[in-house]
Amino acid sequence: MTIDIFWRIPTHGEPSSHRARTPFRGDWFPGNDNLRKAGLGGGGADGFNYLDYIAEIAHAAEISGFQGGLIPSFPMTDEPWVISSLLARETSNFRFMIPFQPGFLNPVVAARMTASLQRATGGRALYNVITGGGGPAQLWWGDSADHDDRYTRTTEFLDVVRGVWRGGPFSYNGKFYQVENAGLAHPLSEEEFPEIYFSGSSDAALSSASKHADYYLTWLEPFEQLREKFRRVKEKTDLLGRKIKCAVRVDVIARATEEEAWEEVRRGFDNVDPATLRQFLGQDGSDSVGAARQRGNRPTTINSYKDLITEPNIWSGFNLFRGGQTQGIVGSYQQVAERLDDLVQLGADAFILASTPHLEEAYRVGEEVLPLVRGHGNSQLLRAVG
Amino acid sequence: MSTEFIWQLPTAGDGRYAEATRLRRGERNNNTQSKQRAPFTDGVTDPRGERFNYFDYLHQVARAADISGFDGLRIVHDFDGDDSWIVAGYLARGTRHIRLLTEFEASWGSSVYAAKNAVSFQRATNGRFAWQLVQGADEASRRQHGDNLPQAEVLARIDEFITVARGVQTKAPFSFKGRYFEVQDGGFRGPLAGNPLPPIYLSGGDEAALALSARQADVHVFNAAPLAELAPALASLQAQAAALGRSVAAGLRIDVLARETLEEAERDADREQSQSGARAALVGSYEQVIDALAAYAEAGVTSFLLGATPHLEEAYRIGEYVLPALRARLASNEQQAA
Repeated sequence: MTIDIFWRIPTHGEPSSHRARTPFRGDWFPGNDNLRKAGLGGGGADGFNYLDYIAEIAHAAEISGFQGGLIPSFPMTDEPWVISSLLARETSNFRFMIPFQPGFLNPVVAARMTASLQRATGGRALYNVITGGGGPAQLWWGDSADHDDRYTRTTEFLDVVRGVWRGGPFSYNGKFYQVENAGLAHPLSEEEFPEIYFSGSSDAALSSASKHADYYLTWLEPFEQLREKFRRVKEKTDLLGRKIKCAVRVDVIARATEEEAWEEVRRGFDNVDPATLRQFLGQDGSDSVGAARQRGNRPTTINSYKDLITEPNIWSGFNLFRGGQTQGIVGSYQQVAERLDDLVQLGADAFILASTPHLEEAYRVGEEVLPLVRGHGNSQLLRAVG
Repeated sequence: MSTEFIWQLPTAGDGRYAEATRLRRGERNNNTQSKQRAPFTDGVTDPRGERFNYFDYLHQVARAADISGFDGLRIVHDFDGDDSWIVAGYLARGTRHIRLLTEFEASWGSSVYAAKNAVSFQRATNGRFAWQLVQGADEASRRQHGDNLPQAEVLARIDEFITVARGVQTKAPFSFKGRYFEVQDGGFRGPLAGNPLPPIYLSGGDEAALALSARQADVHVFNAAPLAELAPALASLQAQAAALGRSVAAGLRIDVLARETLEEAERDADREQSQSGARAALVGSYEQVIDALAAYAEAGVTSFLLGATPHLEEAYRIGEYVLPALRARLASNEQQAA
């Protein structure tokens, strides 16, 4: 079995490097809600906007050997369904990984949208099903279901999407969804069902994942913790009768030498403003288990970027540079490839990688790191020879 | 408001005359269940393979409408066809001027999520997105599509959907708790705030639908009807809107079959009727069709949603032989009035 490697589309804006917040590509970044500047040239008569830059990243990712990319959805970002359909015609191989929460869409509508997107792209759509962090954040989106109910809803949602996919007639009487004699029309019903990447760390999440997911997707965590997590996921889902694979979403900073890679981190860290650092050490209001696991990995005081090195080549301050997860891989091209192979040994079958700026780094990682990753090959032997 | 002309995009199939009900031009699936395209004989090489499908044809219709001077394209909501939102996105970057009027039902999902998707469209297309919320078919049909709302509540849900979608686009924080939608401390900020609101098209022939449009619509679309029948409804819409201090544009959804002469038009109309059972609503020479549409315009219609089969060829025909002369007529009428 080979490893699938995806890239990420920075819907949440893009600084020109890890080192500094500005100059900034895109029109929003954490902490500045008022920035609005279409296009890298400042917008105006040329008609370019941030989507044109996103299109360039998608091209870079497909040219340099990634499967496609995750297109994150947050309150400040454009939406992945729209971005995918906009870029369908002008990309060739890029697979659109669409994160969404089941509560936001009628499942029969979602099935039709997905089948149409498959038709528009030649089968390049896939899901990242997110069940949501809960609390006030969910009500921002207009969703009032509580935490454990939401996993029941996710399961029902995917039951219905699968049920109608081949054309039906399909009837379903769930707690959240009821349909009668439903089914996709031909030729929509001939499309491949999208692969499902599934997120969520609680027991309720795992039960749902075991029924529908192809990949269990997690952020990078301490390696031993991740080994245990993958073991638990595979054990639980095996028990429920469905084999699922594991995937890791991780930021990387890869350079020709390890020194250059850490120098990039040092410069970025020195440019972090004190308010961001204080927020980093504080608490957020989410009831997501995954977020709590990330928070538990942080030290309580920080004097240097080195205080955030938690394992060889692992730095846990990435969300000081941009929103999202804390831990990422820093090192030479060879070291980054080795850490990815370590994760494969722990049980990872796929990766979603990212680095800033996503355009240039797609080429760098695609050219310098991906060719060194062995996956499930005989990695120890090849490394000794190389 | 100047008069707009919007072309139809049939999402479930298009072809010449009777074929249009079952053919999807360009479709790659050429199986026996659905004759998607006319097969060649064994004696002729078919080079098309599986490279194309109906999306490629839809793209051509959209480009045709754009090139031939239409103001918009109505992307039809049809459960037998492809999803209108995905089609809208697929067409957006290949078109330059036309507004993408996307038709769907309020059973789509969260109105916040729909509004957020709409904002993404607005940002990516320089404000060319518009939406038409339709009531859908009967209860049984809606249950097939995961929608269990009693028929009597369909308009009320559209009403709330619009209130929430407009609220999150124009106000932050925005909170709302209704029967169908709830949002708390919502509302778009930063680059997602302050984008032009997608114009709202609504439709429906009864008084309740007109009352909703008077409150919430930018354009109310009437189905094709003789002018004498339409006039009272037009007056009612304007009166109800005026009572609320609003104005709502009147739209007319009408199929046309225009040819150089009336004889040709009638011959093709007969051919269409005998082969597909459908009959174009407005049949005549170019001059006759222009006269008829101008009469609707004089009665207050400012938004024409035109269609003709096949939609690619007819977009050019109407764009070349009807729109320029009709626009000139309306402009000169306006001048005389002023």
